[in-house]
Amino acid sequence: MTDTKRTLPVLPPAPPEGATPHAPVDDACFLGERPDVPKLREALATIKNWFRANSLWVMAYGTGCGSIELRPLTTARFDMERFGMAMRPTPRQSNVLIISGYLATKSLKRVIRSYEQMPAPKWVVGLGSCTINGGMYWDSYNTINRLDLYLPVDVYIAGCMPRPEALLAGFSYLMERIKKGEANGWHHYLENLDWYKENQKKLITDWDMPDYNW
Amino acid sequence: MPLATKIAWSALGVLVAIAYGLSIGGVIRKVMARIQGRIGPPVWQPFIDLGKNLFMRSATHHGVMFILGPVFRAAGGIGLFLLIPVIVGDPRFENFAFSGDLLLAMYFLFFGSLGMALGAGEGGHPHSPIGIGRGLAQMSSFELPFGLAVVAIAAQAGSFSIAEIVASQQGGVLHWNLFANPFASVAAFLAFLGMNMYAPFNIVGAPQEIPVGPPTEYNSQFLSLMMAGRAIFAVAKMVLYMDLFLGGAHSIPEAFVKTFLIYFWSVFVGAVFPRFRTEQAIRFFLGWPTAAGIAGVLLVMFR
Amino acid sequence: MDTILDEIRTRFAVTWEHEQRPDLLQVGVEPVTVVPLLTWLKAHTPYVQLTHMSVVDWLEEGQFQLTYLLTDPEGFRSLMVVTRIDREEATAESVWELWPQAVTYEQEINEMFGIRFPGSPRQGVPFILEGWDDIPPMRRDFDTVEYMNAHHPSRPGREHTDPRTYVGKVVGEKGYLHD
Repeated sequence: MTDTKRTLPVLPPAPPEGATPHAPVDDACFLGERPDVPKLREALATIKNWFRANSLWVMAYGTGCGSIELRPLTTARFDMERFGMAMRPTPRQSNVLIISGYLATKSLKRVIRSYEQMPAPKWVVGLGSCTINGGMYWDSYNTINRLDLYLPVDVYIAGCMPRPEALLAGFSYLMERIKKGEANGWHHYLENLDWYKENQKKLITDWDMPDYNW
Repeated sequence: MPLATKIAWSALGVLVAIAYGLSIGGVIRKVMARIQGRIGPPVWQPFIDLGKNLFMRSATHHGVMFILGPVFRAAGGIGLFLLIPVIVGDPRFENFAFSGDLLLAMYFLFFGSLGMALGAGEGGHPHSPIGIGRGLAQMSSFELPFGLAVVAIAAQAGSFSIAEIVASQQGGVLHWNLFANPFASVAAFLAFLGMNMYAPFNIVGAPQEIPVGPPTEYNSQFLSLMMAGRAIFAVAKMVLYMDLFLGGAHSIPEAFVKTFLIYFWSVFVGAVFPRFRTEQAIRFFLGWPTAAGIAGVLLVMFR
Repeated sequence: MDTILDEIRTRFAVTWEHEQRPDLLQVGVEPVTVVPLLTWLKAHTPYVQLTHMSVVDWLEEGQFQLTYLLTDPEGFRSLMVVTRIDREEATAESVWELWPQAVTYEQEINEMFGIRFPGSPRQGVPFILEGWDDIPPMRRDFDTVEYMNAHHPSRPGREHTDPRTYVGKVVGEKGYLHD
């Protein structure tokens, strides 16, 4: 891949001229990248991002075998609570969605629903090689090969399976990116909603839910 | 003291109570973590969580009642706090106590939960009504021993005014209702376990079972308002118990120490006990705590 | 065990039998015999529980092999009733009236192999797959790689290796791990 920023491994085509963007620009996004954002708002955004980064609530939803590596994070040995992270059982209260391992087509539908129900800003962590290129299940008839076609991924954690230490490293990388204002996958999702929806609907043939799940 | 000054002091008291409630929540999480052999979050983690939820960019609501739920809860907490004198004899921290305020305080204890029930019901998530049903069932069962204890204490002091109940306990540690009426105290402190919803009475939220119960649908700013409401509600309950059973407080440090001890009674119990089911909790509250409450009333009657 | 097997031999036309373990016996019968045999087993022998139903696709022989695993819950032994049905016709008799849990097995087999069980409820109702529009995925003539290439774009730069040749290259001249 030529994308050096590693934020968004797949870049969808630019929206056509004259199309109205779906998402308004948030002051917390694009720190330092936008000269039109006043300095005061940028300082405020830095504070907001610090709060967001230090209180990541992870959605407790495991899609595949990788979720077995998430459980040790709450135990005494790894203890993710010292970073302010906690497991939340409902998408309404979570900020981070972890796609843990292989993702079945059937699960993808539920994952999209959950992702869209989460309040913004929200982040997606792809865990394990299955989310990156299909992993060892690349030729299975019902698992997806590339997560970033369907959801905006902020951080990938490679491995099959990555150990809990790798997860913690990935999370601290995510925190860094949030503090710098670089983890804007959710914004990217809204900006390119049509592209993502097209990909999703190509795969989910029995689309029986609203186009966007509030 | 002019009314405006009084309002200003009470508002300050509310802010301090919220901050105190949040920090005590952080201490609890730290203590729980240490008991489980973990490092645990920093003590100021609840403040970060509150700020984070406040700074969420989008919020979803499901109707007017849904918005009013956290408002009712916060109003219940603030109303309860404003009725209870915090420091004895200090007009700045007496808030808006009046004769007969104990009855209103008992109403405010349950006002927030009822508001939450209406709000969470409109959220429409099936886990919310399950949690609410459990919560209200448990609430009505621990209300019995608590009510008996309050009746015993009020009869003993001959007044429904919290300030007069505090005044009747002055003159030494043994004058505290904790020792003057031990049966009522046992009933009330067992009811406190249920009121705080820590284990073994945390079936309402029931993590891992019905994910978080009533607040399942609450997000971002609603959630931060609920966190603040919960914090001040906890503080108000502690202050109420301090006034009723531990003889009130004469200075701010004393108030901190006493409320801390009261709250950590439920935390230490919660740290080591597994969870009761709803019907087990109801049977528990209608058993020994109620018997202790009746004994407390009898003690006052035949003194 | 032996008396039951003798009785099965006497009463039903057993095409083959095989003792896999002392407590696991396999009995092969014709498709028409399956339901009478299972009914008799449930009524008159300790094998009262249907533990499992499975299918093997014998593509080269044009047959599906259906296996009913019965368990004796008190004697801790099992009996497999095996039958072969035609692959093209792919219809078998339902046993859901004997064991209600067979409904789920038959629903899954119907979805994954395309075998029909006339009379069984929930036939054709999606079990795992949602909106599936290809041939049933567990049939051996379903090309999963081709399906993946058509539906799931793979990331550029990924290399695929056939496990058998790759392991063979690593292991040496044998070409595969086990003989």
